[in-house]
Amino acid sequence: MSGDDDSNGWQLTESDPGVFTELLKTLGVPLIVDDLYSLDPESLAALQPLHALIFLFKWIPTTSSSSTSSGGDYDSEFPGFFAHQVVNNACATLAVMNAIGNIPSLPTGPQLGDLLSFSNGMDPQTRGLVITSADWLREAHNALSPPSAISLDGLGLPRKTEDAYHFVVYLPVMGALYELDGLKPYAVRHGSYEQGGEGWVKKAREAIEARINTYPAGALEFSLLALRDDPLPTLQAQIQQLESTGNAAAAAEAHAILANEHGKRERWAFENSLRRYNHVGLVHALLVALAKGGKLGQTQEKARAVMKERIERRKARGEDMEEE
Amino acid sequence: MSDTLLAFKAGRAFRRDGSNIIEPNPTKGAIVLSNGEDGLLHFIWRNRTTNVDEEAGDEMDLILFPSDATFTKVSQSSGRVYVLKFSSSNQRHFFWMQDASSTRDQEFADNVNGLLQDPEYELVWNTAASSFQPQASSSTQGASSHRSSGSNFQATPEQLAALQAALTTMSASTTQQESDLSLTDILTPANLTPLFNTHPELISTLFPHLPPDLPVPPSADAIQRIIHSPQFRSAVSSFDQALRTGLLGGLVRGLGLPDEAGTGIVPFLRAVQEQADRENSEDGSNSMDTN
Repeated sequence: MSGDDDSNGWQLTESDPGVFTELLKTLGVPLIVDDLYSLDPESLAALQPLHALIFLFKWIPTTSSSSTSSGGDYDSEFPGFFAHQVVNNACATLAVMNAIGNIPSLPTGPQLGDLLSFSNGMDPQTRGLVITSADWLREAHNALSPPSAISLDGLGLPRKTEDAYHFVVYLPVMGALYELDGLKPYAVRHGSYEQGGEGWVKKAREAIEARINTYPAGALEFSLLALRDDPLPTLQAQIQQLESTGNAAAAAEAHAILANEHGKRERWAFENSLRRYNHVGLVHALLVALAKGGKLGQTQEKARAVMKERIERRKARGEDMEEE
Repeated sequence: MSDTLLAFKAGRAFRRDGSNIIEPNPTKGAIVLSNGEDGLLHFIWRNRTTNVDEEAGDEMDLILFPSDATFTKVSQSSGRVYVLKFSSSNQRHFFWMQDASSTRDQEFADNVNGLLQDPEYELVWNTAASSFQPQASSSTQGASSHRSSGSNFQATPEQLAALQAALTTMSASTTQQESDLSLTDILTPANLTPLFNTHPELISTLFPHLPPDLPVPPSADAIQRIIHSPQFRSAVSSFDQALRTGLLGGLVRGLGLPDEAGTGIVPFLRAVQEQADRENSEDGSNSMDTN
């Protein structure tokens, strides 16, 4: 699975809600992805209708391969959609597919609909291969990194920003909570949940917290995402209704939430525009501007000093380690 | 919210009164095709510099139904002029491609036409077919400036393969080309913000180099956001590493620089300084503080 370059043309993408949401839009799915900062009931209730939780963490190979690290049992008869991760770089899209493949009556674009029905009844490995071979899906996935032939980002330069994250999806399928991890042989069943109150979300919280607790404090770098209905249409309808019934206070509150959503979308659109862009011309133009402003020489000297200090610090640390 | 489908750099061109001559307007702009909030396809031309230009205007926003219009190359013109032609009227809008390299012109035009026929059209990018042609840096055709506005930095598959091989060898070994400084320490907000404060006139020189599909108009604030962004910092880091291979000779020509500039970080910066000094004196402006 891992190797030198078996990326099969899938580029590594950032694991950012804006990237996921843009992918969903391309797939014709009316859902968005949001950062989730807390698993408490209030935070989760605010995001309803909520379809899945995605747990991301820096991949640390576990020593035990057969046991699941956080409870639950392998379900080799899982009736829903589960695909193996066949190409590492495709991990984000694979997680999205494992989530949306299990949401009943989800509107989708035609290609996604075809892919889902085509892969019906396939085993996880074959499903994973089918997903990875879908050219249109790979292009949608790659659309959020700079095109490799016209930029240097596709060259496998050591990336200083993000290491590859691993994604695990938690969602309800036919009355039970499931954990879908493309690197595990089967879907993991965490058992049924109470229908009332928080429903499946409560069970998901327990499973995720249990998982986090298996690591020593501070050892696991992780984050959480929520896959939910796009709130914009509902908010807009709500505002109209509140305004027409003269409920000014509630309408103002809804307006505030709507403004917040729009702000978030603008930020995502801004970042996605930067992700797709070849910045070399801008880099060059900035250096020219520094030069024209007579500042290039002094910043060069400053940069030399910073580099020298950095190397010295590294050497000092290196020497310390050797002494151990 | 509306949805950008395609965006690329393009300027407008106008027919000179009483003649058949199409003259490119130098204003830097972009053609943007988007799915509007109204669910309809919008063909938009936007001014990338936000200087209000009487002739070119700031924006054009046309709603187009499938097959209303086509976007074709003007063969009678020697340059990279395209015309938006309507099936139901004699209306014509002329544009010229402003990417420094012409190798993707047809690719952009084909995609525009695809979308004009059907807004669901899947874009086709022939990245294998793109090939780098060393070009003078100034945008062609009527651009009044000799500026280093070339911002198309393309590599042929062969060049990319050579770079990739060099980088693989480099990362395997413990020592890299010794450069005692990194671009990532030069292009920091701490260095750039004071520049923008002391030389605000330089800010607008950056506008043509911003992404054409940025959801906000070019501005000093947009530039601040960009230089603080992880995407930009990552791009600087990648370019820095690529320069260290010493193999960017041919590629830097797309930036209006001599081959020598592609041999390392210090030669690159030296060439940039010479380029800036040249442009400053062409401007006729007093040269700025020397270092």
